[in-house]
Amino acid sequence: MKDLVEKKAANEVETEEGSITIEIVYRGIFQKTLAQRIARSIVLAARKRGHTGTAFGRYGDSPERNGVPAKYFAVVAINELELESSMAKYEPAVVDVSIVVDDTLVKGVESWAWYGRQPIWKPVRSDGFVVVTSEKTPDEVLAQTDAAERPYTLAVVPGLASFAGLWVFKDDHTDYRVLGALARLVPDWVRLEDVQALIREQTKEGSAADSAQHGFDATVVRAVAPGEGTSGHEVLQFDKPGWTTMRPGIIVDARKPGERNPYYKKYGARTLRPVVNFDTCIKCTMCWLDCPDECFEVTAEGHYEVVYEACIGCGICAAVCPVKDCIVMVDEMKFTDNKDTWALWKSDHDAYNRWFEEMAGVPADPKGVAARAADAPVGTPTVSHDAASGGDD
Amino acid sequence: MAIEPLASTTPQDLPQIKGVKDVPYDELFVSGHRTCQGCESALVMRHMVKASGPRTIVLGSTGCMYVANTTYYTTPWVVPWMHTQLGASGAAALGTAAGLKVLMRKGKLKDEKINVIAFCGDGGGADMGLGAISATLTHKDYDCLVLLYDNESYANTDIQLSSQTPYGAVTTFSPTGSEKRLMHTRWKKNMPGMMATGHPESRYIAAGCAAYAVDLMNKIRRALELGGPTFVHTLDPCPKGWDYHPQYSQELGHLAVETGIWTLYEVIDGVCNLTGPTRQIAEGRKKRKPVYEYLKRQGRFSHFADEDVEHFQATVDKMWEEWLIPGVIPFTIPQKDAGLLRIDKRAKPLHAEAKTA
Repeated sequence: MKDLVEKKAANEVETEEGSITIEIVYRGIFQKTLAQRIARSIVLAARKRGHTGTAFGRYGDSPERNGVPAKYFAVVAINELELESSMAKYEPAVVDVSIVVDDTLVKGVESWAWYGRQPIWKPVRSDGFVVVTSEKTPDEVLAQTDAAERPYTLAVVPGLASFAGLWVFKDDHTDYRVLGALARLVPDWVRLEDVQALIREQTKEGSAADSAQHGFDATVVRAVAPGEGTSGHEVLQFDKPGWTTMRPGIIVDARKPGERNPYYKKYGARTLRPVVNFDTCIKCTMCWLDCPDECFEVTAEGHYEVVYEACIGCGICAAVCPVKDCIVMVDEMKFTDNKDTWALWKSDHDAYNRWFEEMAGVPADPKGVAARAADAPVGTPTVSHDAASGGDD
Repeated sequence: MAIEPLASTTPQDLPQIKGVKDVPYDELFVSGHRTCQGCESALVMRHMVKASGPRTIVLGSTGCMYVANTTYYTTPWVVPWMHTQLGASGAAALGTAAGLKVLMRKGKLKDEKINVIAFCGDGGGADMGLGAISATLTHKDYDCLVLLYDNESYANTDIQLSSQTPYGAVTTFSPTGSEKRLMHTRWKKNMPGMMATGHPESRYIAAGCAAYAVDLMNKIRRALELGGPTFVHTLDPCPKGWDYHPQYSQELGHLAVETGIWTLYEVIDGVCNLTGPTRQIAEGRKKRKPVYEYLKRQGRFSHFADEDVEHFQATVDKMWEEWLIPGVIPFTIPQKDAGLLRIDKRAKPLHAEAKTA
């Protein structure tokens, strides 16, 4: 077992040529059906050419939580024997392709405390593929991805992250586009004609097969060399005591008063983060009071600053805040760290407000804007920057 | 092994909280738990220990708040916490309270007040643990609180039907289909009302919601302050099972109360006080919102036809227009017996002193 763990860490375990293992990394609950559909379709398409395969979720992800990263797998093999030899695993240690259906997941995957935060390419074999659905360019995606240890190919499938609930599926063709992209990257295992034939069986919607073609054509590919990527992410790994080294009764020490859980931070569950305008904050306490993840800390002035290491981006604070645009939820990909922003506001108001406007896309000083509007002649643009340029575009 | 002293030795003093500015800052349930985005039950846990203070032992029966909060190093608890079996929250609360009492009597523990709180979900409490909770509430010599956090399904195992699942809602066990639109047509069991009417010796039974945080914290405090076996039931919007965007958890909590679907009240020594907006609705100072406002925001009701909404509305109307105590006691008495009704003249509106948020 220990050998396997070490080999797993070094990714020395060779994948069998008679099979291919593909993982889908997704947001728990929100993309559960999407991941399941992609994995199943890979296997069904492979069967059309006489291959065999299986699709399965990672048992350890259950129970899934909204937003917390989870994994689904598809293993395709040339015959039953090869499939069985690739299948006798709880979780494939090495995969050939990792499909990431939300680009904010490239910042790292922290599914449980014992995994720590893992780089998105962690299980991908040397010269394997990381496929990301994103509106961003490969370089922009790579800038938020941990520096590579092995060469791999980054492929960006155009499209926004597709989120839905437990009971619904958002049929925006993300699955078809991803299958098309796979046909381009691993044609020996997934063929476009098989994918399109499968889609035509599954749906009468003519544009669905076109979406697969679009995924095939529009996917942008970039080779990633070792060392490329960012070194700015936190290393979040800890020594895990086994049951024999734990305290009697398998007691886990409680958190100390004032401490946060250092082993599991959960910010990897975040796709949007709250940005606070401290100038318009009325110190009403609602964000702090209603936060299910205790991520606000009160400052000496009575403001509530967000501890981004603890924030999972649910958006309750923005929803309960009584002041318009005081807390704005912003695309996580716009940020490169979890730094304390209140300190910047404290030391340099103007710099902070410029930063706030750039991130949030709304004026930091609405009163000032209103006052200027009152003075200005009718029809004059009152907001100096382009307020509409914020958000995700 | 010697029993180690707890981190803090703050004396037990749990006055009613006057408003949001009066809520204690100390966090005893900290960040780093593996709950969903927008998890209202996690907020209940946080408010529960915030209200009870550091001299508290928490026991958790199986459910989301066990699995998400304590699985191998995802623990957020600052106070001592122990797992107990799925239907055992009542028994664990009583046993722990009795154990502490004996240790103190024998001089093995300092004689002081230590709060014992056992929590359970709606599956663990209103289904499996009902008998044990009921038994616990009759043991009046032991001080313990059972808190039932109700997210209206077995949410931990991906949303199976419980006795607290509302009429018509989609769960894994009650999917909607073309042949049969509604697979679940039973009305939600009136858990706090049942506990209140069935256990006259329990000094405190309450129903709350974390969307009304101060009201909830005060209910926890009053339960612990009055002592004996007590029970608090909270309604927790669940983005995973109710199928809505996590940011609307508070809004749905407010709507559940404002539409009259969920009632906020407390029964202190046999006297029922309606609290928060529930009181305003009962007094006619606030108009009940249509239940559709609440239903339409949740994917689990998205299959509802007009007649389903009408049935839901009619049943909620009945709770308010026909029940003996609106939203609390479901039966009534004939007109000719109206003189039998006893009104407690001593009871003062205890919540007059504590403004709700």
